[in-house]
Amino acid sequence: MRATVLRTQTTAAARRPGRLILTGLAILVASFVVFGTVLVQQITERTVRDNLSGTPAVTDLVIGSVDVQPPTVTDVRQVRAVPGVAEAVARVATGVSIGEGYLNLQSDPGTGPLTTVRVIEGSYPDQPGEIAITPRTAERLGLSVGTTTSGTGGELTTPAPLTVTGVVETSADAGYDAYAPDSAVIAWARLTTVERVDVRVAPGASTDAVRQRVTAAVAGQPIRSGAEVREAEAQAAAEQVGRLFILVGMFVSIAVVAAALVVTSTFRIVFAQRMRQLALLRAVGASRATLVGALTAEGALTGLVAGVVGVASALTLGYALPAILRATGHDVSSPGLPLAAAVAVVIGAVVITVLAVLAPALSAARVSPLEALRAASVTAGRRGIGVSRLVFGLLLAGGAVLAAVGTISQLPKPEQSDYDPSMPLLLLVGSGALAFFALVALGPLLVRPVLAVVGWPLRQLGPLGRMSVGGIGGTPRRAAAVSVVVALGVTLISGVVIGGASLQILTDREMALSAPSDFEVTSNGGTLPPAVVSRAEAADGALARVVPYRMVDDARLLRGADKLGDGESGYPTSDLDLAALPSTGDLDVAQGTLTDRGPGRIVLNSWVARDAGLRAGDTVTLAVATGTVDVRVAAVLPGDGPLHAGILADPGDLDRLGVPAAYTGLLADAAGAGEDGRTAGVRALRQAIGGSDGVGLAVLADERDRNDALVRTLVWVAVGLVSLTVLIAVVGVGSTTALSVVERVRESGLLRAIGLSRTGLRIMLTVESGLYGVIGAAIGLVLGIPYAWLAVETLGIEAPMTAPLLPLAGLFVVLVGLTALAGVLPARRASRVSPVVALGADN
Amino acid sequence: MTTHAPPETSHAAVAAVDLVKVYGSGDTAVRALDGVSVGFGRAEFTAIMGSSGSGKSTLMHCLAGLDTATSGRVLLGGTQLTGQSDRTLTRVRRERIGFVFQSFNLLPQLTAAQNITLPLDLAGRQPDAELLAHLVRVLGLGDRLNHRPSELSGGQQQRVALARALVARPEVVFADEPTGNLDSRSGAEVLTILRDSVRDLGQTVVMVTHDPIAAAYADRVVLLADGRLAGEIDKPNQVSVTDALRDLAARR
Ligand SMILES: Nc1ncnc2c1ncn2[C@@H]1O[C@H](COP(=O)(O)OP(=O)(O)OP(=O)(O)O)[C@@H](O)[C@H]1O
Ligand SMILES: [Mg+2]
Repeated sequence: MRATVLRTQTTAAARRPGRLILTGLAILVASFVVFGTVLVQQITERTVRDNLSGTPAVTDLVIGSVDVQPPTVTDVRQVRAVPGVAEAVARVATGVSIGEGYLNLQSDPGTGPLTTVRVIEGSYPDQPGEIAITPRTAERLGLSVGTTTSGTGGELTTPAPLTVTGVVETSADAGYDAYAPDSAVIAWARLTTVERVDVRVAPGASTDAVRQRVTAAVAGQPIRSGAEVREAEAQAAAEQVGRLFILVGMFVSIAVVAAALVVTSTFRIVFAQRMRQLALLRAVGASRATLVGALTAEGALTGLVAGVVGVASALTLGYALPAILRATGHDVSSPGLPLAAAVAVVIGAVVITVLAVLAPALSAARVSPLEALRAASVTAGRRGIGVSRLVFGLLLAGGAVLAAVGTISQLPKPEQSDYDPSMPLLLLVGSGALAFFALVALGPLLVRPVLAVVGWPLRQLGPLGRMSVGGIGGTPRRAAAVSVVVALGVTLISGVVIGGASLQILTDREMALSAPSDFEVTSNGGTLPPAVVSRAEAADGALARVVPYRMVDDARLLRGADKLGDGESGYPTSDLDLAALPSTGDLDVAQGTLTDRGPGRIVLNSWVARDAGLRAGDTVTLAVATGTVDVRVAAVLPGDGPLHAGILADPGDLDRLGVPAAYTGLLADAAGAGEDGRTAGVRALRQAIGGSDGVGLAVLADERDRNDALVRTLVWVAVGLVSLTVLIAVVGVGSTTALSVVERVRESGLLRAIGLSRTGLRIMLTVESGLYGVIGAAIGLVLGIPYAWLAVETLGIEAPMTAPLLPLAGLFVVLVGLTALAGVLPARRASRVSPVVALGADN
Repeated sequence: MTTHAPPETSHAAVAAVDLVKVYGSGDTAVRALDGVSVGFGRAEFTAIMGSSGSGKSTLMHCLAGLDTATSGRVLLGGTQLTGQSDRTLTRVRRERIGFVFQSFNLLPQLTAAQNITLPLDLAGRQPDAELLAHLVRVLGLGDRLNHRPSELSGGQQQRVALARALVARPEVVFADEPTGNLDSRSGAEVLTILRDSVRDLGQTVVMVTHDPIAAAYADRVVLLADGRLAGEIDKPNQVSVTDALRDLAARR
C-alpha cells in the first residue's frame, strides 16, 4: 500500500514536472542565493587577495613590524651592506605641512621591482627636497612639475624647500600624496627611524643564508619572509570580507525563512488541488500516516531537485560572471569549487522543504474519505483558522506588543548620556520577529478586512475588479500565505528606506555643521589679512559665496558674577551669518527659533546649553576678556553648532564685547559644479591667500562627498540585501498565481463559457496577483514604518522621524507592479486554454 | 424514421449544417461529428440523445460557440458562428446563450446570488429584477441566495446554475446532462423548470440526456449515433424514447 501510494504521488509529480519546479521555485531561488553568496564571498576574498596592493610580490624579506621598536636609519644602512642583498628599501611615511596644505610624504624607490608607483610626468626625485606627487594632489594643491614650495614635516621644524620633479600614478590617490626615495625622505625630514625595510635577495643567493646574515646585522629586529607578510595582509583583508559576509548572511537567512514560507503555501495549494485524489486513496484504505509519508517524500524530492538546480545555476553563474568581467577588463578572480558547501546547501534545501511541507501534508492527510465523493466544485478552501492557531497567533501578537512597549520604556531620555542601545534594540528585534510570526498565524483573518479597504477602488471598477477581489477574499488562507511574504519584504525595505532617510538627515545636519561650505580658509589662531577676504570676495567667477566670520575661543556665560557651567576654558563663539549659507540657513533647532536671532540674542549648541543650564528664552551675560554684554538665548541646537561653535552671536554684540574687527576665517562655496568647479574655487582661494603666513585652506566639500557616498552606498547595500527577500516574495507570488491558475482551470473554463473574454480573464488573474502585492505591501508598510521609527529612536542617534513619502509610495507601486507582473504569464496561459478543455480538466 | 432530417435553418433558433468535428489527426483522429445537420426551433424544448461517445456534448459545444467545428456551419438566429473570432464568440456566449453543465457549474468563492448574476455582471447589465424574483421563487432558492456552493446540495447547485442560465434571457439555453447527478425528485424539479421556462417564458432549450424519463419532458428528441444524426421523435414519451434507443442499439 505504502509503495503504491508513494508511486501515485510521485508519478503525479513526475507527470507534471512544471508543477514540481513551480512548487520548489522559492527553494530553488533560495539555494541559488545561499550558494551564490558562498561563491561571491570566495570571489571577493580571492579578488581582494590577488589585487592586494600591499607588499610587492618580489619582496623576499621584511624587517620590522608595528609591534616593536622601528628599525633605525643605521639599520637600513647595515642591511644594504649585507652580501646577497640586491635591494633594501626603507618604507616610511611622514606628514608634511606646506603652504598649499597637507602632504603625506611616502618613501618609494620609484624604479625597480620594489616600487609601487609609476612616473607619468617629469622625473622621479633623487635629492632631498624633491618630491613626486599624484595627479589629484597636483590638481588639489595647485602644484605642478617645477613648482617649489616650502614646508615642515617629521623632525624638521623650520620650513625647508620642496620641489616637485614629477607626477606619479599609484593604486590609491587620496589627493595629498607625495613620494620620494627613502634616502631623500629621511634626509629632508631628518628622520632617525623607518617603519620597515623590504629586502630583495640577489638572484642566485640563498634567501636563508641572506636572512641569517641580515638577522645578525640588525639584532633585535623581527624578520619575516615576504610571503609571510603578504599572507598576513591577505588574511587581514579576508577577515574584513568575512565580517562583511556575516552581515550578508543575516539577510540571506531572512530570505531563506521567506522561501520556507512560500514553499509551505505552494504545497498547501498543490495538496488542496489533489484533495479528491487523496480522499480517494483514503477511501480505498490508505492510512493517514501513509499519506503524510508520501506527501513528505514528495517534498523531499522537490527540495532535492530545487537545491541541485539552484546550486548548479549559482555555480554556472559564479564561473561565467568573473570570466565575462575579466574579458571586459575588470580584475575579478574566479571562485573555487566549494563541494562541502554545495552539498550542505542541497541538504539544507531538502530539510527546509521537508519542514515546510510537514504542516500542509498533515492537514491534507486529515482529509475525510467522503471528500472524494463530493463534487470538485464545492471544495473551496477553508476560510477561517483553527482555535489553536488563533490562540497561538494572539499570544505571539501580545508578545510583540509587550516587547515593543518594553523598547519604548527604555528609549533614551533627552540629554541622557549613558544610553546603551543594545538591550532595547534586542527587544525591538524580538518584537519584530514575534509580530511577523503573529502575522503568519493570523494572516487569513487580516486578509478580508485589509481587502475591504484596499479592494474598494477595484470593486468600483466593475465586475472584473469585483471578481478579482472576490477571488482573493474567497481564499483568504492562500492570499495570506503569499501576502505575508510580500509584507516581510516590504517591511524590511521600508525600514531600510526610512533608516536611510534618517541617516541622510543626520549626516546632512552633521555636515552642515562640520562642513557648511565647500571651502574653509582659517588663520590658525590669528586673523586673516583683510586683503585675503577682499580678494576672495572679488573672485566671484570661481566662488559663489564668501562668508567671513570671527571666532573667539574663550567666551564665558555669566549670571550676575557667577560663571555658568563646569568647563575650565570658555566656549568657542562665532558671529557666522547662518542665513548666508544654504546649508546652515535651515538648521533644525531643539528649542526656540532661529528667526529670533539678532542683536542681543545668541544661539547655543546643545552641549553648551546643558553645561550652562540654559534654555531658549533665558537671559544671560556673555563675557570675554575685553567686555560683557547681556543677551537672551534665541534657540538651542539639537547637536553641535556650525564650525563647532558653542555660541553663535550677532556681529554687533561681538563688537560691543570689544572683539577685534579682523576676521579669523572665511567660508566659501564653489561657483561651478563638479570637480572642475571645485578646482577653480581652490585656485581662486589660493590666489586670494597668496603668501599670507599661517593661513590654511581646507576643501570641506571632499569630506562631504565622501560622507554622502558612504551613506548612499550603505543604503544601497542594505536595499540590495533586502531585495533578496523581495525577490523570493515575488517568486512566491508568481508560483502561487501559476499554481492557482492550474488549480482553477475549471473555474476559468466556466467563466469563459458563460462569456468572460480572454482579455477579461487575463486581466482578472493579473489583478488578483497584483492584489497579493497590494495586501502584502499595505501590511508591510503598516508594520514597517512604526518599527523603523522605533529602531531609529532606539539607536539613540537623535535623528528625527521621517516618512520619505515618495520613496515609500514608489516602493508600494513597484511591489504591486512586480507581483502583478508575476501573474502575467500564468494569466496568459490560463486565457489561452479553450473553455471546453478547461471544463473537462480533471482535478 | 428518416436518417437525415432536413435542416430547418430558416425558423430555427440555432442550427447546424453539415457539421464535422475531428479530434486529433492521423491514425488517432476521431470523427466526433460526421456531417450533422439539425435545427432547433424557437420556444422549443429539444433533447439530444445517443449512446456514450456518440458526439452529443461535442455537438452542443459547437452549437454554443464553446468549441470550433472542423467544417460545416453553425447558425444562431441567423448569425453564422463558424469562423468568428474568439471575441465575438465570447460576446455571443455572454449575451445570447445560457449554460447548465452536468457538474462544476458555480464559482466556489461566489454566493448563489452572485453566481446567478455573474454573466450579467460581466456584460455590465442589470438583472431584470422581476424575472430574477420569479426565478428565485420558482426555483425555491429564496433562503439560499447568500450561501456559497459548498453549502448547497447538488440539486440546489443545479437550480442556481439554471437561474443563472435563464436570468439573462438568452436566445438558447444549453444543458448537458443537467440531471445526471441528481436524484429523481430533484431531477424532475429541474426538468419541470426547464419545460416551464419554454412554456411560460418562450425560452429555447437544448438538453443532452441519457435518461428517457428526462427526454419525455422535451417537445422533440434528436438521436445521435457515431457522430451522425440517427433520427428524431416528436412529442416523445418514455416508451417511444426507450424503444428508439433500443432500435438504435440493435442496429449497431
Ligand atoms: N478532446 C478530445 N480529444 C479527442 N477525442 C475527443 C475529445 N473530446 C471528445 N472526444 C471523442 O469524441 C467522441 C464524442 O465525444 P462526446 O464527448 O461528444 O460524447 P458524448 O456523446 O457526449 O458522450 P457521453 O454520453 O459519454 O458524454 C468520443 O469518441 C470521444 O472519445
Ligand atoms: Mg457528454
